[in-house]
Amino acid sequence: MTQTAKAAKKTTSAKATTEGKASTAARKPAAKKKSAMAFPFTSIVGQEEMKLSLILNIIDPRIGGVLVMGHRGTGKSTTVRALAEVLPLIDRVKGDIYNRTVQQYIEMESGAKGAPVLKTSEVKTEKIPVPVIDLPLGATEDRVCGTIDIEKALTSGVKAFEPGLLAQANRGFLYIDEVNLLDDHLVDVLLDVAASGKNVVEREGISIRHPARFVLVGSGNPEEGELRPQLLDRFGLHARIITINDVEKRVEIVKLRREYDENPEAFIKKVARQQQKLQKEIVAAQKLLPKVEMDDSVLTDIARLCMALGIDGHRGELTITRTAHAYAALQGDTTVTMEHVRAIAGLCLRHRLRKDPLETVDAGEKIERELAKVLGEAEAVA
Amino acid sequence: MIAFTDIVGMDLAKQALMLLAVDPSLGGVVIPSAVGSGKSTLARAFADILPEGTPFVELPLNVTEDRLIGGVDLEATLASGQRVVQHGVLSKAHKGVLYVDSLSLLDSSAVSHIMDAMSRGAVIVEREGLSEVHPADFMLVGTYDPSDGEVRMGLLDRIGIIVPFTAQNDYRARKQIVSLVMGTRDAEDTEDELRMLRGIIGAAREQLPHVSITKEQIKGLIQTAISLGVEGNRVDIFAIRAALANAALSQRTEVDEEDLKLAMKLVLVPRATRMPEREPDEEEMQQEEPPPPEEEPQDEAEDENAPPDESDSDADEEQEDNPDMIEELMMDAVETELPDNILNISLASKKKAKSGSRGEALNSKRGRFVRSQPGEIKSGKVALIPTLISAAPWQASRKAEKAKKGIKTGALVISTEDVKIKRFRDKSGTLFIFMVDASGSMALNRMRQAKGAVSSLLQNAYVHRDQVALISFRGKQAQVLLPPSQSVDRAKRELDVLPTGGGTPLASALFTGWETAKQARTKGITQVMFVMITDGRGNIPLAAAADPTAGKAPKEELEKEVEALALSIQSDGIASIVVDTQMNYLSRGEAPKLAQKLGGRYFYLPNAKAEQIVEAALS
Repeated sequence: MTQTAKAAKKTTSAKATTEGKASTAARKPAAKKKSAMAFPFTSIVGQEEMKLSLILNIIDPRIGGVLVMGHRGTGKSTTVRALAEVLPLIDRVKGDIYNRTVQQYIEMESGAKGAPVLKTSEVKTEKIPVPVIDLPLGATEDRVCGTIDIEKALTSGVKAFEPGLLAQANRGFLYIDEVNLLDDHLVDVLLDVAASGKNVVEREGISIRHPARFVLVGSGNPEEGELRPQLLDRFGLHARIITINDVEKRVEIVKLRREYDENPEAFIKKVARQQQKLQKEIVAAQKLLPKVEMDDSVLTDIARLCMALGIDGHRGELTITRTAHAYAALQGDTTVTMEHVRAIAGLCLRHRLRKDPLETVDAGEKIERELAKVLGEAEAVA
Repeated sequence: MIAFTDIVGMDLAKQALMLLAVDPSLGGVVIPSAVGSGKSTLARAFADILPEGTPFVELPLNVTEDRLIGGVDLEATLASGQRVVQHGVLSKAHKGVLYVDSLSLLDSSAVSHIMDAMSRGAVIVEREGLSEVHPADFMLVGTYDPSDGEVRMGLLDRIGIIVPFTAQNDYRARKQIVSLVMGTRDAEDTEDELRMLRGIIGAAREQLPHVSITKEQIKGLIQTAISLGVEGNRVDIFAIRAALANAALSQRTEVDEEDLKLAMKLVLVPRATRMPEREPDEEEMQQEEPPPPEEEPQDEAEDENAPPDESDSDADEEQEDNPDMIEELMMDAVETELPDNILNISLASKKKAKSGSRGEALNSKRGRFVRSQPGEIKSGKVALIPTLISAAPWQASRKAEKAKKGIKTGALVISTEDVKIKRFRDKSGTLFIFMVDASGSMALNRMRQAKGAVSSLLQNAYVHRDQVALISFRGKQAQVLLPPSQSVDRAKRELDVLPTGGGTPLASALFTGWETAKQARTKGITQVMFVMITDGRGNIPLAAAADPTAGKAPKEELEKEVEALALSIQSDGIASIVVDTQMNYLSRGEAPKLAQKLGGRYFYLPNAKAEQIVEAALS
């Protein structure tokens, strides 16, 4: 008995070390390699709504994320995963697990619990790409929020906090594929955190609070299930995605995909310039954004539109306003006009319309119609 | 063990598996087939034709989430005091085959995980303090019996090949099976044949990069996909790969018409959502595929008002067989069978409907954490703090004991008796099966009411975690328009296009509803309610579904059928309500009788509003 137990122990511990090593060694490079091998964002044909929504969220993360719903096999997750490559870099405190800025870091850490008082100049920083964190469906709550470090608890009896995906996603993107299938209790957690921008862990004898402000990106197929209304409302934008039925476009998709599959490295190299160009455009728009202005009359029209559509609350107006600013910045304009609003109104409002089971008119058409009315009025008054 | 080459019949399935062996990036093969057709034997024999050392992992249906995606091996971790990672079944199938028998019975969370792994080629483990990426690039081979239910569309979308449903082998095949079982075949022959097959596949793999497909051929496949209403664009790639692989198997360097046909048959047709139209769309398709020498931009040539006969005469000379072929293939794909003797179904299984609160299940691993309880590590999620607490008092004595034996210990000594697992409470919900009479006797306004009621219930369904299925019955048989679902969008779409008219196959409706209920039960839904919107006047026998020539039957026979079915449904613990929308002066009391037979409630709502039906169902 003891013999076998010992033997078993020997094999398991040997396995543990090899696997442990493999996984710690593999974790970072694997993640990097994966993102480097993603199909390039700029080579994705069609699906402009989704691409635009994502880009606008990079320009202004306060827009509140995007929900991409639509047909199977139309490149939803491919597009989101391709995003990482066109994201700009951000500064964070060197090695900080919460990706905090120097200011945030000093606010939280300096002088807390007897820690030394820090000065801005003393804190080292590093540049990292905006994180894109994947939240898989099978994730457990403790991995999402962070929890007690089991290994430390078991081996040394020390209670230590191991941060979860919410910590890693701070200041970045949190992506949930098949978001409509996510467990209810995880949805609750997400709603909480998304509302407060903070993750509070009060469990198993730990009390931790850290910033968790991220752009929530969800995708799914509405046929597999509905999204909870509260979660739906959380998403700033709602992009629809449908099967492309244009033969030429589909031939183009197939051509690019096959070229990529044949030799991913060469393909990525070939389109590198396009990718950089897009990244530059995004960075330029980010810089321009604070200078973008909006006339009060445009704001009035936006409010009128939301009222005409019977949208509850003010999140609709707020989202349109922010998104229109970001869109104007992307176009290189410094003044928001109703034309900018028109381009993004559908994205902002589609999921905020009251649901009528017998309604057959498409939400987008309805928005377009009301918008035309509002604009007509505005012109008549002018 | 029966070898791949020994299996008789199922030629299309064999061909499909060979294509997969040539190009694993096809993702997988799904084989729907009736019981006893040898589908699982064939799937298991697939390993024979793969290169040696290819992993072949069979997924048990009752697989737990942690076994599926992997996690901390707590037993080993506790024993060694070091974190031991256990790879899940999905990552064990990496670079090999994951085989699932009865794919349609796999529970939905397992299906989601498989879908996720297939889309990434890896499993992301974010559980119990673990954060790892395990490669999991596998081919999925699934078999199932369609009478057990259908496989989720999202999963099928990631699998390249779906073998058209075949009910039975023909007599020649049967004869061969018999001779095989009698041992008339030589083991050596088998070995030789297998070796040859492996050689062919190996050669085809080498050939594959040298096979080319023309742009026009690609266009032809895409046109076909569009005209069949296949959802998504991923299917284009699969169809091309299948055609290429088939050409490689024949050692050709160019894709020919046969390859395209096979690709359509195995990739596109099984996903069709509509029959190809006989109008301009089809004309385009004919011209496109295979390539005519004089190619012109088709998009501009599109003319929806072109008279059909003109396009037909155009096409006659070129590829007359194409639309016919597709239609023929469609017929193959949609052919289904019904058990012939429905009245003999035993009534032995008397299950009482579970009374009490609406569907709360305690055994689940999801939902709200209620409390911890002693238990096996493997049977649930470990509640860490209670485990540590229960281990605490024994620390001193255990350490002393281990020290006596000379065993070094960590800071904590935990044994398996200390383990507490979490107990969860999860709402399992009720399945409402709407059966809408769409026969000629139902006026249009009643269809609208039914549509409204279903939509409202669906809105409700999300809150209560309920599900709704939709069955319509008209003409010869009932049809499941919407399998159990919580999707408002899909139900709406189905309802929008619901045609009306024809006879009233009431028995077929009851039978189909009952089947749907039984399938749902295997997926953990305990409570089922039928909501029948009908005047209760059935006039088509069950046999008409299988044999359209069966026609009408005497009234007594019809009643007997309905009665027998209603009794079975009632004894299965399925609750029913019958909503009679018949105008008063026409009513001859059939609907109340139906309600009585089903042991259900009867509502007379001649002008029933959608909300009233919902209210009746929920009360």
